[in-house]
Amino acid sequence: MKILVIIRQTPDTEAKIQANSTQNGIETSNIKWILNPFDEIAVEEAVQIKEKSASEVIILTVGSERSLEALRTALAMGGDSAIHITDDSFADMDSYALSKVIASKIKSIGDVDLILSGKKWIDEESGQVAIQIAEELGIPQATLATKIDLDEANKSVKVQSEIEGGQRIVELKLPALITCERGLNEPRYASLPGIMKAKKKPLEEVQMDSIDVGELGLTKESLGNAGSRLKVDSIEIPVIKRTLTILKGGKSDMVQADEVKKASEELARLLREEAKII
Amino acid sequence: MGEIWVLVDTSQGVIRNVTYEVLTAARKLKEKNGATIAAVYVGDEAGSIEEDLSKYGAEKIYKIENPTLKDFNASAHAHALAETIKKHNPDIILAGNTLQNQDFLPRVASRTSSGLSFDAIDIDINSSSTLQVKRYRYSGKSISTISYHDVKPMIATLRPNAFKPVENQTSAEVINESIDVPAENNMKVLETKIIPKERPELTEADKIVSGGRGMANGDNFKLIFDIADSIGAAAGASRAAVDSGFVPYEMQVGQTGKVVSPNLYVAVGISGSVQHYAGMGSSTIIVAINKDPDAPIFQKCDYGICGDLFEVIPALTEEFKNLS
Ligand SMILES: Cc1cc2nc3c(=O)[nH]c(=O)nc-3n(C[C@H](O)[C@H](O)[C@H](O)COP(=O)(O)OP(=O)(O)OC[C@H]3O[C@@H](n4cnc5c(N)ncnc54)[C@H](O)[C@@H]3O)c2cc1C
Ligand SMILES: Nc1ncnc2c1ncn2[C@@H]1O[C@H](COP(=O)(O)O)[C@@H](O)[C@H]1O
Repeated sequence: MKILVIIRQTPDTEAKIQANSTQNGIETSNIKWILNPFDEIAVEEAVQIKEKSASEVIILTVGSERSLEALRTALAMGGDSAIHITDDSFADMDSYALSKVIASKIKSIGDVDLILSGKKWIDEESGQVAIQIAEELGIPQATLATKIDLDEANKSVKVQSEIEGGQRIVELKLPALITCERGLNEPRYASLPGIMKAKKKPLEEVQMDSIDVGELGLTKESLGNAGSRLKVDSIEIPVIKRTLTILKGGKSDMVQADEVKKASEELARLLREEAKII
Repeated sequence: MGEIWVLVDTSQGVIRNVTYEVLTAARKLKEKNGATIAAVYVGDEAGSIEEDLSKYGAEKIYKIENPTLKDFNASAHAHALAETIKKHNPDIILAGNTLQNQDFLPRVASRTSSGLSFDAIDIDINSSSTLQVKRYRYSGKSISTISYHDVKPMIATLRPNAFKPVENQTSAEVINESIDVPAENNMKVLETKIIPKERPELTEADKIVSGGRGMANGDNFKLIFDIADSIGAAAGASRAAVDSGFVPYEMQVGQTGKVVSPNLYVAVGISGSVQHYAGMGSSTIIVAINKDPDAPIFQKCDYGICGDLFEVIPALTEEFKNLS
């Protein structure tokens, strides 16, 4: 089995987000970057499959120099090799172009049986890239997987997914693409020996310039922000304006048992009369 | 001006509320550019949906029906919709941000070489009828305004609850689209389990009560369910409550759980971490029940009671019951 995991780097979930000077992106200078949490789940699943059967796990990302770190994390978790498509020259590609570029690379790798991705990139939450890769490759998909059962002999995979109001189980013929949801597994931490080993694992660097985008029905101009189908006009940071009515004398005082009824009465009244919500 | 399409979402044969919200949002665009609003059903059997859709301003209804579309399959659904798009060339397509739409619309966008964005909280068009959407990015930490450029159709899904459905009676013309849908043989649905819900769906709920690590164990969540039921709310949880095994992952609210925006969000025994807040910070009214006066949630809520949840929640449940 050849398993490909597509990953992306993302700002740490704790990061404070601020608009950049042109107000159409975020200030990235003080941000700590991590492997997208849902992609971690995808890497973990691939490594678990590898541990059960002889499989090869390839990690792929399209991103700037900085995203090498995310690749190294995935290798330290147990990936075998990595492909880094650097896009410094074409920053801000939209998902349409991105999926075409990744799909073409996957075709050139050849014989990939299973593609795993996160359910979404928690940064932009476009939620489209992986599915559009499946479309480009003409293969089936299952999204939001919470359980994956491979049947190597039959070249198929059973996937349990969340759907509206419940869940379902589908069977896909390989090759197939699966997006991973929390609950599928608990991603491991990269161990120290894992991190050491990762440094020696094969890493292929692909310059975006070397990809013949014309063949993909794209032009160089269509790749960057300028050619994007969707452009960010502006970014605002929502200001929290909350009334902060904390019952029982503000922050410092906890309601005593005998005051609970009064506080509850008052809260119910505020919700009805002031907030008009119940 | 051409057509704005609104995809019809159904759940066991009944049109979901979000469809009426999207129809209402579409009217906002129509007022500016005079487009025709068409509701579009893709599935195996639409049933009699005309009356309900006409009530919310659909002027046309396209029914794309085919038995092959019975079990939802992203490729087959995308095929059916993409072919109909190519035939009628709508300018704009709007839909609810449901799991199913998130699953197949990216394929539609690829097939029709169009532009797609998910989960808009507001939409507008400029003078040249270009669609503009506002959506959260970085999990609620920022709002981006995004414009479409030289693409057609412009496709967007709208976050449930972002628009209030308003009736506007029309009489819709029904157009039956017969379309060949090739059977997909590389994907088979083995089992579909709709779990009967005692409470509203988190992502669509108007009110939510969530419990956190402060609940101490799974059994205590009965308190959350009781108070939720007293006001017809959905029940949610923090990641700490999920990771401790109190409740299943489906209930998790936050950056790596469900992103919700109800009118009322009650956080019980939840400290208010950045990641939790990212999933519910856009709620209209936030109420916190916590025993720690320094809990971060008290810095970003509208109302709060600083007290022991095991005393406060039963008392508050009584008050809520008295009100209704
Ligand atoms: C990558 C990443 C993603 C994450 N994604 C999410 C996410 O999607 N959603 C999410 O929720 N978290 C997420 N987290 C976890 C987050 O950082 C917090 O750990 C989590 O939200 C804490 O949950 P909590 O508030 O229930 O628990 P705690 O922070 O432990 O807070 C419990 C609160 O309960 C109060 N309490 C205790 N007993 C009582 C009582 N008897 N009466 C009243 N109050 C009481 C305490 O005062 C305390 O404030 C994520 C973390 C990471 C690193
Ligand atoms: N630049 C990229 N390189 C590789 N994989 C990506 C990239 N962007 C997104 N993905 C994958 O696609 C998933 C969904 O991302 P998105 O569609 O951006 O929400 C992510 O969780 C990744 O697994």
